[in-house]
Amino acid sequence: MQDLKKRIVRSVVLICLCNVIITSVYADIAVIVHPTNNSVLDQKSIERIYMGKLKSFENGRSALPINASKGAATREEFNRLLMGRSDSQLTAFWSKLMFTGKGTPPMELATDQDILATVSANQDAIGYVDAASVTDTVKVVKIYNKGTSK
Amino acid sequence: MKYLQLVWLFVGCAFTFSSSAEIQISGYGSIIAGKTLGSVDDPINLGQRRDETFTADFYDVGQYTNDLSFNTESILSVQGVYALSSQFSVTTQVVAKGVDDFTPEVDWYYATYRPTEDWTFMAGRRNIPMYYYSEFSEVGYAYPWMRPPANLYWWQITQFNGVHAMYTFNWGDTSNTITSFYGNEYSDDNKEMGFYEVLFGGKDSTRVEENWTSIAGVNWNVSGSLSESVFYDVRFVYFQHELERINHIVDADNTMLLTSQKFFGFGGSVDIPNVTVLFDFNFVTRDDVLGTEYPTYLVSLVYHYDSFHPYISYSKADSKRTEGSLPTAELEEHYISSVGIRYDFLPNIAFKAQIDRFVDQGYVPDGWNYHGDARVVSAGIDFIF
Repeated sequence: MQDLKKRIVRSVVLICLCNVIITSVYADIAVIVHPTNNSVLDQKSIERIYMGKLKSFENGRSALPINASKGAATREEFNRLLMGRSDSQLTAFWSKLMFTGKGTPPMELATDQDILATVSANQDAIGYVDAASVTDTVKVVKIYNKGTSK
Repeated sequence: MKYLQLVWLFVGCAFTFSSSAEIQISGYGSIIAGKTLGSVDDPINLGQRRDETFTADFYDVGQYTNDLSFNTESILSVQGVYALSSQFSVTTQVVAKGVDDFTPEVDWYYATYRPTEDWTFMAGRRNIPMYYYSEFSEVGYAYPWMRPPANLYWWQITQFNGVHAMYTFNWGDTSNTITSFYGNEYSDDNKEMGFYEVLFGGKDSTRVEENWTSIAGVNWNVSGSLSESVFYDVRFVYFQHELERINHIVDADNTMLLTSQKFFGFGGSVDIPNVTVLFDFNFVTRDDVLGTEYPTYLVSLVYHYDSFHPYISYSKADSKRTEGSLPTAELEEHYISSVGIRYDFLPNIAFKAQIDRFVDQGYVPDGWNYHGDARVVSAGIDFIF
């Protein structure tokens, strides 16, 4: 019986430690646009662009949102910090639009480097990457981390 | 109608072989098994017992009995979108349903023209935007339950050939889409109406023709947020149509029903942290001498815990006659109470399990309790690709 208690305590401690470690590796997310894009973008407008509900920037140009690929850590963080929804919830949202001809989900790119290259080359693009990956070829709108309130 | 299909097929093929066309293939499906749990007094053949029978799909008469069935609700659909330019595309959905022995049918085919970011025009065959979930009622991945409440989605016509004009705009902090639509549907041999004709002993009926014409209406969808973590999406709908029903009978004059219907609806969802509230209130009036009305509603709660989404729902369908020599509220009436869970175990696959209790409150002396009570369990997966 004592052994069982010890094992349970050890397991709980281990799980807590894992949580601490996992929490500590959450990436900071940098939302990025083309360097010439001077539009004011708050969290709400970024969310609406990624939900297909806002189709243009303040400067009048079309908005082309780019997602990281499914399962990417940055995508999970972006959904959690900015969208306030899980990836499954967002996939369900887009599936009803896709199969009724009323919308197309954001395009997906596999790596931060792909996203940086596309955003730096396209004045309409908006994307997000791990803040550590950012280069001076793009403009950072804002950096979000787990301390950023939704 | 067939002429229109042929023209569309030809156009579709031409686009398929066009070197400039960009083709996107996607799809959705469900593999679901279910069965009912007991027997009831047969409401039609009095004095006899029969399996509890639960109609999961009224339109295609997909029913569960005591025998475990994989065919009642399982479905596979492949969608092809042929983008000819940034403004013009054509779309096809080939759908194979277990209830039709998985015979592929081109259920959706329409052309889309987007001259600006705000305007979209569509022409072709699509679902009638009737209930909140009508347009994507077969895309199981898009909603939490096994199916939208079957006793609300009980109409014998769900699709039509027509045109849609869709305008999107922002109003304050809300996102809005207004869609107007117009079209017709001619169902020469209606499956649902034919099934019930036979059920009620119409042995001399060869087929029931159901035509909905001059279908005209408007949808207004509004979405936004009430706070940083409370989102809503609601939709108003109104449409009207002419209804013609012809029962073709062997060696006798055909019987005919001519009337028109008006459909009103308000439905949507509200997401608050960890909980989603879903609802749909609808009201159909028929312009007949009896003043027939069909009030229906759905209320559902979904709790979100990581990838698990347990839910409960309650849907009620009623019908009444408000005019004529004998107004009565005692006609067809039933409710379904359901409990279930959705588990998103992969990014594009969800497992679901659900228990439903169908309670038939139809007026017994006049045989309006013809569905009979039923308890059903079902489980399966919904996926998209």
